[in-house]
Amino acid sequence: VITRAARALRHTWTLAAHDVGLWRRAPWAIAAALIPPVALGLLLYILTFNLGHQPIALVQEAHGRYSDHIAGIFQAQAGDIYSLVTTDRANAMRLLDSQQVAAVVVIPPNFDAGVARCPALQPGQIIRDYTYARSGCPAAKLQVTLNNANNNFADEIRRALSETVSFFDAPDVVTPISETQLDMSDLNPYRVNVMTALTRANTVDYIHYAVIPCLVLLILSVGVTGTALLCARDIERGTARHLALAPVSPVVLVAGRLLGGVLVSVVVIVPTLAIAAGSGLIAPPTGHWAALGLVFLATAVCAAGLGAVLGAIMRGSRAVSMAAVIVCTYLFFLGGGFTTIQFLPTWLHRMTAFVPTSYAIDGLRQSLFYPRLYGFTADMRVLLGTAAVAVVVGGLVVRKAWTR
Amino acid sequence: MTPTLTALGGGFRAEIQQLRRSRLLIVLTAVEAVTFLVLVSIFGLTGTHVPTAVVDRDGGSLARQWAQEMSATYHTYGVRYMDARSAQQALGRGDVAAILYIPPGFSQHMAHHSMIRIHFLVDNVNADLTTEVELGIPPAARAFGVANHFPGIRVVSAEKDLVRHEVGFIPYLVVSALALAAFVVAGTLAASAVAREFENRTLAYLKLSPTHPLVPLAGRLLATATVSAIAVAVAAVLVVAGYGVAPASPAALAAGLLLCVVIFSCIGAGLGTLVRRTLPLSALIFGLALALYLDSGSLEPARFYGNRLWVIAHTSPVYYAVGILQYAVHDLRVTPETVPVNFAALIGWALLAAGAAWLGLRRAVVA
Repeated sequence: VITRAARALRHTWTLAAHDVGLWRRAPWAIAAALIPPVALGLLLYILTFNLGHQPIALVQEAHGRYSDHIAGIFQAQAGDIYSLVTTDRANAMRLLDSQQVAAVVVIPPNFDAGVARCPALQPGQIIRDYTYARSGCPAAKLQVTLNNANNNFADEIRRALSETVSFFDAPDVVTPISETQLDMSDLNPYRVNVMTALTRANTVDYIHYAVIPCLVLLILSVGVTGTALLCARDIERGTARHLALAPVSPVVLVAGRLLGGVLVSVVVIVPTLAIAAGSGLIAPPTGHWAALGLVFLATAVCAAGLGAVLGAIMRGSRAVSMAAVIVCTYLFFLGGGFTTIQFLPTWLHRMTAFVPTSYAIDGLRQSLFYPRLYGFTADMRVLLGTAAVAVVVGGLVVRKAWTR
Repeated sequence: MTPTLTALGGGFRAEIQQLRRSRLLIVLTAVEAVTFLVLVSIFGLTGTHVPTAVVDRDGGSLARQWAQEMSATYHTYGVRYMDARSAQQALGRGDVAAILYIPPGFSQHMAHHSMIRIHFLVDNVNADLTTEVELGIPPAARAFGVANHFPGIRVVSAEKDLVRHEVGFIPYLVVSALALAAFVVAGTLAASAVAREFENRTLAYLKLSPTHPLVPLAGRLLATATVSAIAVAVAAVLVVAGYGVAPASPAALAAGLLLCVVIFSCIGAGLGTLVRRTLPLSALIFGLALALYLDSGSLEPARFYGNRLWVIAHTSPVYYAVGILQYAVHDLRVTPETVPVNFAALIGWALLAAGAAWLGLRRAVVA
């Protein structure tokens, strides 16, 4: 039994090694697999620089105490929620017209008088008389001219400006729970103090959060395209018939093909990981390397199974390569690789539960960013289950295609 | 003249026959193009309405108004009322990104204008989401205070919008995506037609043609451009019908898309000449489209990205195409350049791309 098992393993390995050799000698197949993840990684990397930094021009036409104060708040918040240019009104309108800024905020000459008309709350003041407020206190008005070409970035600017204006009257509407000592609530006209608490120990910056999942796309793309092209090649060249007639168990042959697909992914991902770790792009917490390896291995097995199905049911290398790009892109996007799943509408969010890559991406993020592997076991259970199903289905489809 | 036309027509017919034999490839190319529309729609869905649980332990009218202000202010939150336990479970599952606990007595405190603390639990899954969720609170508090005429609010903003009808994010994105759909379809079909000549080694036979050897090839490219134009027209109809977007200037839309098809067919022919293999072409073009997507003003006017990226954007025809398409559909000006300048730039690109493709192919045929 041992001799037979050893022979089967040798045959499996021989076929897998042969497949890896074939793939290595096909630079265009390698290019087809690598281009989409590299391009998407680059796209995400550049996209992150644009987040929350809409350009705004500030025109200060009053120079009293309150005008200087609100201008100071604008300056202090610049860089975090918008980028700021301070200029005069004529130039600001020119900048708006030439789209160098998305909005112009003017602190008008009567700003200080307007603020002075509405008295601020005093510490300990109990307000019983609302008459002046209800009659419509003529509050100071900031004049905002906004390029609202679409509601997404226009709302982003409105939100940022509202944050700045709120800060003028109440710097403590939102207070981190850790700063309970800070209490300026007596002066807060909104009468609420929102104490925020975060559920996770550390917050991952968006570049890492968005770009790192491209590693899953990489392994997926290489695994699916590599295995699919190897299967398609056998059918195109007629070598599938030879394999079907070979005096080796079909299980061994199919296992060799799938192992070849997995090895192809490993050949790409190992150096990529080494470079990423060496350059400091990834730094998993101590003891998480095994978890990371498991995520990649399970994803690679899934990819090989899926690639085998694609390669066996489609005709022609070009169709296979195109289909692989489409399938990988959908799996990546719906798996939360390009977006934060939490933002998606409920129906789509529920749908992502059936997308195996969402578990791979979540497992990857857990093993790279968070000290406790929260939900990792559940992720791996689904991913390994999918890998098992993919291997069985892929094996059956390939076997059927060979005998056809 | 007649042999030239015959050769051109022959190339056209041969390519149409070839395409009719590869229906799966045409379907996949169309799916790739539609994929762009789907993906930008998914991306557009994620920009707003962060699902947020509100646990209302007060139940008063002012508490409800607070939650409504949260929901209404700048589309930041998608508010869902839940009890505390369901909210915690939803947060654990990732179904909501935050929980706002409105404490008992909230309405009474607000009615008496006395201070109250609200607890807000945020899933800080990444810095962007956390900032987004936290930034939405002050505007909501402010909107609530202003609506109830709270005293002590000393500054308000008076907004003047440049655009009368503000366009939704998804309708904006899908219009930009049409230019990229044209790139994917026209680029892939043209590149494949040229690369196939190299792969099948049929290019040498073209030299035996009684006319210029590139004329039959031009016929083939004319065929791929025609098929691409039909596919892009279908995508445009999908956008108009599916997303309820009525073009402000249908003629400009048609002209812009047609120019895109011409340019991208020529660029595709150039890529086919360079790569000379059909296998990696679709991946290469899809990857290039992703790169072009960002730096073309597809999300918002490209100049808002900063001058450096804006200057780089000028090197891509997609930048001018997006400028024309946004004008044609939404009547928006998203480039500092005027629409006639954008058209002139696209025509220039078409001539340049055609010239480059012609030179590249001629060199390849001679070689």
